[in-house]
Amino acid sequence: METYTFNAYPDHLNTAHVALFHNLKNAAALRAQIRAAATSPDEADRDAVNFAFVEPRLITSRLHLQTAIAQASLAAAQGNLRTKTVHSEILWALNPTNNITEALRRYGNSDTSTTLLVVRVGGMDVPAETVLKQMNEVAIGDVQPLDTLEALTDWSSVKKYHKLNNEVAIKTARDVNHEHQIVDNIVVTSVAMKSVVS
Amino acid sequence: MQTSSFASKLNMASPLSHTLLQSSSLVAQGAEARVYKSSLTIGGPPFLLKHRFNKQYRHPSLDASLTRSRVAGEARALLKCLRSGVNVPGVRFVDASEGILGIEWIDGLSVRRLLPGGTEDEEDLDGESIHDPQAKLSAHGISVGNLMSLIGIELAKMHAADIIHGDLTTSNMMLRHLTKFQVPVGSSDSLQLVLIDFGLSYHSALVEDKAVDLYVLERAFASTHPESEPLFASVLQAYADRLGKEWSGVKRRLDDVRLRGRKRSMVG
Ligand SMILES: Nc1ncnc2c1ncn2[C@@H]1O[C@H](COP(=O)(O)OP(=O)(O)OP(=O)(O)O)[C@@H](O)[C@H]1O
Ligand SMILES: [Mg+2]
Repeated sequence: METYTFNAYPDHLNTAHVALFHNLKNAAALRAQIRAAATSPDEADRDAVNFAFVEPRLITSRLHLQTAIAQASLAAAQGNLRTKTVHSEILWALNPTNNITEALRRYGNSDTSTTLLVVRVGGMDVPAETVLKQMNEVAIGDVQPLDTLEALTDWSSVKKYHKLNNEVAIKTARDVNHEHQIVDNIVVTSVAMKSVVS
Repeated sequence: MQTSSFASKLNMASPLSHTLLQSSSLVAQGAEARVYKSSLTIGGPPFLLKHRFNKQYRHPSLDASLTRSRVAGEARALLKCLRSGVNVPGVRFVDASEGILGIEWIDGLSVRRLLPGGTEDEEDLDGESIHDPQAKLSAHGISVGNLMSLIGIELAKMHAADIIHGDLTTSNMMLRHLTKFQVPVGSSDSLQLVLIDFGLSYHSALVEDKAVDLYVLERAFASTHPESEPLFASVLQAYADRLGKEWSGVKRRLDDVRLRGRKRSMVG
């Protein structure tokens, strides 16, 4: 798990914990738990799944995810959330269109996920070990270093969702590494500027 | 809340953006914007934060929407350039309501500072080197001719995508030193010419707009780097080679624009 500190953000939004799970064992059960929590009268049920569950194959770099967190938390700090919570807002920020359902479907977890990014945005008051423990209670799998993210990226889906296949930048890339750098920069840029698109 | 209404009366940034600016270091102060080096997360990559501050003489709500659309416009131009393969910094952070645009930090120097005439403290340099365009460039491992070609190529890529920069000067282009990590495998290029400052850019397919864009840069070369003015021909040569068949139209129009410029300066 990695913890990022956003200097300038208000106390309740200045910390983000991110864990990458491999060999996820309970994908379908986790989705059922999230659905049940949404309508549960018991706040503890909602607290248990108070995370952003993100599809790692659509994430191109740490910066990509950090940028989505930064824009989602900015919207939360300014009272401009377009979705219900800062966590769903991260998924909204990642998706290139304005369709919230599509954002959750594409960038959220699915019944068949075998890898998963779990994100908690909050304050510094909760220790990282506590957050990791809470993550391990809902996601059953192996927490691996974020450096393993790179190998999971599904570049063709990323290019498809961002409509990059016919772009000059992609067609003129010198090799696959160069192409990945270009795609990452475009994707990070799109996430950062989503609030001013359209 | 008392503090926030006080803040809005003073046209101050919101708490978040305000603290972000306070934790950043000022790089440059312009007439419309202040530029800072900043970072979102502790230990995270640096980025350049451009803050279009409020104009006291404009109506606040008009000012806010104008500022917002300029930030949006600059961000959109950068994205269009990236998609079109033009070397520009990526966008890293946007708070349009506060007039804040964060862009990828480019490690390097502006072309202005790499050419003779671009810095005020040149008396420090000994004798002849002041007038030798290659003098400052040697340390960067690039010939002045190559630098001019890099400029022409980026401008052609930008115009081929129908993006007009609107403020082409040698301070709005940077020579970037790529780190080992950033250099594509199998490539020996470790220098990249990057176009910056798209605050006045717009979309246009008109040869007139492209010609004027080039003319503005030609004038900038003449006034900032009188010694290097002949070098502008190399910029155009590379531009022409890269642009291809569209060049003849732009060339004809550029000649017109030069003529109009000369007439205007004779009258004025
Ligand atoms: N992405 C960047 N990375 C590093 N330095 C940069 C970057 N962008 C701009 N700079 C530096 O900051 C200066 C001002 O940036 P920019 O031109 O975008 O702002 P501006 O307010 O329009 O300034 P000016 O009025 O001087 O043109 C540049 O001349 C350059 O030296
Ligand atoms: Mg400038």
